[in-house]
Amino acid sequence: MAKIELRQIRKTYDRYVAVESLDLEIVDGEFLVMLGPSGCGKTTTLNMIAGLDYPSQGQILFDGRDVTAEPPHGRNVAMVFQSSLLYPHLTVRRNIEASLRHTNLSKAERAQRIADAARMLELDAMLDKLPSQMSGGQRQRAATAKAIVREPACFLLDEPLSALDAALRLSLRSELVNLQKRLGTTAVFVTHDQVEAMTMGDRIAVMSRGNLEQIGTPDEIYNQPASLFVATFLGSPPMNIIAGEVETGMFNAGRVAIDLAGRALPNGPASLGVRPQHVTVTPADAPGAIPVTVYALEHLGRESVIIADDGTGNKLRALVDPGFHARIGDRLGIIPSAASCFFFAPDGKRIP
Amino acid sequence: MTKRGSNFTIAMAILIVWSLLPILWFVRMSFMNHAEITQFPPHIIPESFNLSSFANIFGFNYKLGDGSISSASGQAGQIVRGLQNSVIVSVVVTLITIVIVVPLAYVFSRLDFRFKNLLLNCVLLAVAIPPVSTLIPFYTMYVQLGLVGTLPGLIIIDLTTTVPFVTWMLIGYFRNLPPIERLARIDGFSRLHTLLFLILPLARSGVAVAAIIAFLFAWNEFTFALVLVNGTPATTLPAAISGFLGQDPNPSQLAACILITIIPPALVAFFLQRHLGEMNLADPVR
Repeated sequence: MAKIELRQIRKTYDRYVAVESLDLEIVDGEFLVMLGPSGCGKTTTLNMIAGLDYPSQGQILFDGRDVTAEPPHGRNVAMVFQSSLLYPHLTVRRNIEASLRHTNLSKAERAQRIADAARMLELDAMLDKLPSQMSGGQRQRAATAKAIVREPACFLLDEPLSALDAALRLSLRSELVNLQKRLGTTAVFVTHDQVEAMTMGDRIAVMSRGNLEQIGTPDEIYNQPASLFVATFLGSPPMNIIAGEVETGMFNAGRVAIDLAGRALPNGPASLGVRPQHVTVTPADAPGAIPVTVYALEHLGRESVIIADDGTGNKLRALVDPGFHARIGDRLGIIPSAASCFFFAPDGKRIP
Repeated sequence: MTKRGSNFTIAMAILIVWSLLPILWFVRMSFMNHAEITQFPPHIIPESFNLSSFANIFGFNYKLGDGSISSASGQAGQIVRGLQNSVIVSVVVTLITIVIVVPLAYVFSRLDFRFKNLLLNCVLLAVAIPPVSTLIPFYTMYVQLGLVGTLPGLIIIDLTTTVPFVTWMLIGYFRNLPPIERLARIDGFSRLHTLLFLILPLARSGVAVAAIIAFLFAWNEFTFALVLVNGTPATTLPAAISGFLGQDPNPSQLAACILITIIPPALVAFFLQRHLGEMNLADPVR
């Protein structure tokens, strides 16, 4: 159980800046997801929290205690890796025991903890197997058991579900969250999958190129994105972005003219963002519609997605009922719903 | 059998004959006496299956079936000493190589430190240098240091070839092991403990290959031995055998020597073979 603070953390490798000045506060007991594309610095940050890597500048505090220079074991963190890392030459039981080797617990206590962890992760039948004799999901469970048996201050999970097949990913997703909530341990979860982030996190920290773009609850991130990056990264299908001009309180892009409703956007180029579920599909010549050509149609059973080209190389997406029919090459129109539009300044920041 | 199958069989047969024929030839030669060897056409199986050559090269006179004595080889002293020294040199070179190279390769493969690239390039450059090209410089140095004709001198020279080569090989091997170190650090194990008890058990096959390579190189090393220790008490087996070529030729004794020379490395390879089994270069947990 720990509150973790990162103050002004900066990490450089020679001249490459992996993490710019990062300030982050992780609340005790919360499940924080660090979300971002490859190379955004999320794994580097996780390694610094763990103590596997040290920041070039800045401080890390666990419950107010400065642990910046302390090696991992002293911080009492447990980590689960993407490749379900286990000691290959040891049985599951010995693997889990290894986590307790450097703690001051009696033999009886250790045995008890191992049994509890195994039961919690349904590993009782596999305690004497070697990692090479188990499936990917079982190995990840074993790695998780290894992590929880120490009753650490914090769980650190580095894309633990990425290497598993889709069905396994779904089931382990809810298992992990359930486990964390039962144990009440702070958890930091790194992923590039925004669905995982939205479904699992109490809060999401979105990162891009070494910077923290936004941190907030899934709801906040989804409905009040701070920047173009956050807005397009979250949500599936992704948000549509339309470039246009602002003039005297109106946003114009071709036939689209939307009232800015008092938003403080200066005259000049700007972008409009609207989610696929907030647009209407109309005939191509409808007033206020963007003329598009159908590029693809994806059927998802519960709904369908139309992907259409607006003539500038930009692809726009619209969610439609499953019964909607269109052929590739059809001309249609897309009207964004004025009430659900986001506006972004040229620098990418959203103007609320 | 399909055409492909019979081609395969033929290829295999050629390969086997190609590899084994020379060995079988002098195995047979070592059991024959003078007269038989010079016979043409050559017999495949020696008629008189006698061990005179083996006895002679170790310095014993051997009473042949027809009453004559096959006298001990003049080279016998060299051969016996050569065998001893070869064993000593090879074992010592192998041990020192492994002890030096395993931590060295591990550090190069896993850690980053200042001058790493420079040092790595030095090691790799050492691999690229042909051993023989350093012969004369070494000899000159050794004359001054008084190391000519000594076992330590030979050991040092052998190490200059085995250490870079085996390091290079093991770096590649260690790189392919799963990144257990992170796990070990979080569990609180020291780096030394990690290397000895967590990495090495995984790296058994690589280390076994490294040991075999070092042993074979040291055992078979001929050029340096010939120049440095031939004729001295520190001679090794390959150098000692070369003595047979100048004198009163006795091919069956030469053949016997060669056979003796082959046996120890074959034994080493045989015993270390079980570790070669699963060259687990791929991530075993995938």
